[in-house]
Amino acid sequence: MSGTDIVLQDVRKVYYKDRLEIPVLEGLDLRVDAGDFVALMGPSGSGKSTLLHLIGGLDRPTSGQVRVGQAELHRMSERQLTAWRSRHVGFIFQMYHLVPVLTAAQNVELPLLLFRMPARQRRQRVQVALDVVGLGDRMDHRPNQLSGGQEQRVAIARAIVTDPDVILADEPTGDLDAATSSEILDLLRLLNSEFGKTIVMVTHDPRAAARSRRTLHLDKGVLDREELHAATPTGAGA
Amino acid sequence: MALPISYNWRNLFVRKLSTALTFIVVTVVVFVLAVLLSFAEGIRASLSSSGSRANILVLKPGSTAEGTSIIIPEEYARLSQTPGVARGPDGRPLISRELYVQTSIPRRGPDAAPANVAVRGVEDTAFAVHDEVRLIEGRLFEPGALEVIVGRAARDRYRNLELGGQIALGRLGNRTCRVVGVFEARGGAFESEIWAPLTLLFDAYARRFVSSVALRLGDPARADQAVAYVNGPAVNLEARLETDYYRELSAKTREIVVLTTILVGIMGVGAAFAVANTMYAAVDGRRREIAMLRTIGFPRSSIMAAFVVESLLICTAACAAGLGLSLLVNGSRQDFLSEATWTVLAYELRVTPRTLIAALATAGCVGLAGAMAPALRAARTGVIDALRKA
Ligand SMILES: Nc1ncnc2c1ncn2[C@@H]1O[C@H](COP(=O)(O)OP(=O)(O)OP(=O)(O)O)[C@@H](O)[C@H]1O
Ligand SMILES: [Mg+2]
Repeated sequence: MSGTDIVLQDVRKVYYKDRLEIPVLEGLDLRVDAGDFVALMGPSGSGKSTLLHLIGGLDRPTSGQVRVGQAELHRMSERQLTAWRSRHVGFIFQMYHLVPVLTAAQNVELPLLLFRMPARQRRQRVQVALDVVGLGDRMDHRPNQLSGGQEQRVAIARAIVTDPDVILADEPTGDLDAATSSEILDLLRLLNSEFGKTIVMVTHDPRAAARSRRTLHLDKGVLDREELHAATPTGAGA
Repeated sequence: MALPISYNWRNLFVRKLSTALTFIVVTVVVFVLAVLLSFAEGIRASLSSSGSRANILVLKPGSTAEGTSIIIPEEYARLSQTPGVARGPDGRPLISRELYVQTSIPRRGPDAAPANVAVRGVEDTAFAVHDEVRLIEGRLFEPGALEVIVGRAARDRYRNLELGGQIALGRLGNRTCRVVGVFEARGGAFESEIWAPLTLLFDAYARRFVSSVALRLGDPARADQAVAYVNGPAVNLEARLETDYYRELSAKTREIVVLTTILVGIMGVGAAFAVANTMYAAVDGRRREIAMLRTIGFPRSSIMAAFVVESLLICTAACAAGLGLSLLVNGSRQDFLSEATWTVLAYELRVTPRTLIAALATAGCVGLAGAMAPALRAARTGVIDALRKA
């Protein structure tokens, strides 16, 4: 029961479209211990992204509880959630979402602008984050001067630059070829094993899922299956 | 909490065409504003430096301008008893009879359109009463000779008024006079005039009366007394402070300011729509980026501020450009036909600090007004929706 466990209890999420109820999550329970690396799989439309958004405080459940570390996200206002996100989670998206007009370093620096921090310290942090993802020499490149894999690395650097406990990744390799995917997954494993980050990763790719510690299967609004993976050595084939 | 300015600045260049068009629209608004205001400032500056607080100007009762005033010799004679009138070194009271006529002279420049220029017939005392009048070139006219002196503004603005130039005066235009001197008058209205010997004009225009009489007072504080005397039964003419007379003439500039405000207001609304259009396009094109910024923890207010700043960047740059353009006309000589005197007043266009402030305020308002709705839309971006549609 260390710092940043993720605990969801009896979570329901219902969308409304033209007064029509669209239940997505129906009484879902989930527990991710601090330091775990969980892959989340399931058919398209099963609610994987929705679940990730709830864990990351981007959305609130219709009912039920979402606790991340000490924070009871289901009780927090939008404003509180916004501030909480900036300190406690790092997001990684399938499409990277880098700002095209900013350099790699400036993109990575963005989350730090929300903190009171001397510019020198910010630069240092950006440098470290880019070194971790292996792009220390691409600081001044614009996103359109980088390959897809490099863009995703910059996005990962941006997710870790504030040193959050939890990293949430929504199909981080969905847009990448197998070899590049493997490198990105290595990186995530490194963040998990060396830096102790708790990671929840949505993926459609069983090979990607196999690189996590365990895979959860989401179907019809609940988690119906779980597999544990033997620890695969870093860098093993994908 | 704020995104860096460089982020806003570079984003402006992503939509170059749209940004450029908006920039041009706002530049034009600021330029028009600056030019119209510099008209008003130029006229105001000219008229407000006209006249002296120590002088009272006497006209026919009911006349609002010298051109429509007639003072006959008997009336003039009664003025000599006015209390408080200063005396010159020779002991004569400083009372100046002046005849105000007009003549048509072509303007300088290619179109050469004729303008009604004021010609003032004066005697020696005029130079003591209007002591701001100072020769800067040539010499004074000789009594009895066909000679005139001209104001600096008139010389710059109208043809043949340079030293040695010739103009035709008289009812029949048959008195050719030579320009022998150029004077200044602290930038005031006299500088738009031609001054000639009073006797020359009496003769040339077959007049026996004058238009106005200017009196210099020994003590300006006692002007009320002199005015009351002239307005009273003893003289039965109408007196006012010379400075008040010119202030009334400058009512025209207030009209210009009002018209400017209306015109620029209308243009400003149009410009605000142009800004809004550009900013809407920017917001819609960056929905995912906004969603990402919100995801990593930027509050709605930061998003809103980012777009307002972008709009203000365009508008401030446009403001600088508009003012820069207006400096090209700064100092150029224009004239306008006074409705009160039916003669032209030549003045310099002036870009003043007031113009600067008005331009900045206008550009700022346009930028803010145009950015408001798009920035609100940006702040309200549905994060999850925008991420999902990625
Ligand atoms: N704002 C919304 N309004 C209505 N329905 C929604 C809304 N957002 C999501 N849904 C529905 O919720 C369900 C789950 O969506 P979600 O994006 O979580 O699925 P997913 O498992 O991530 O799918 P994919 O693998 O395609 O990304 C879908 O059926 C979707 O249509
Ligand atoms: Mg999804």
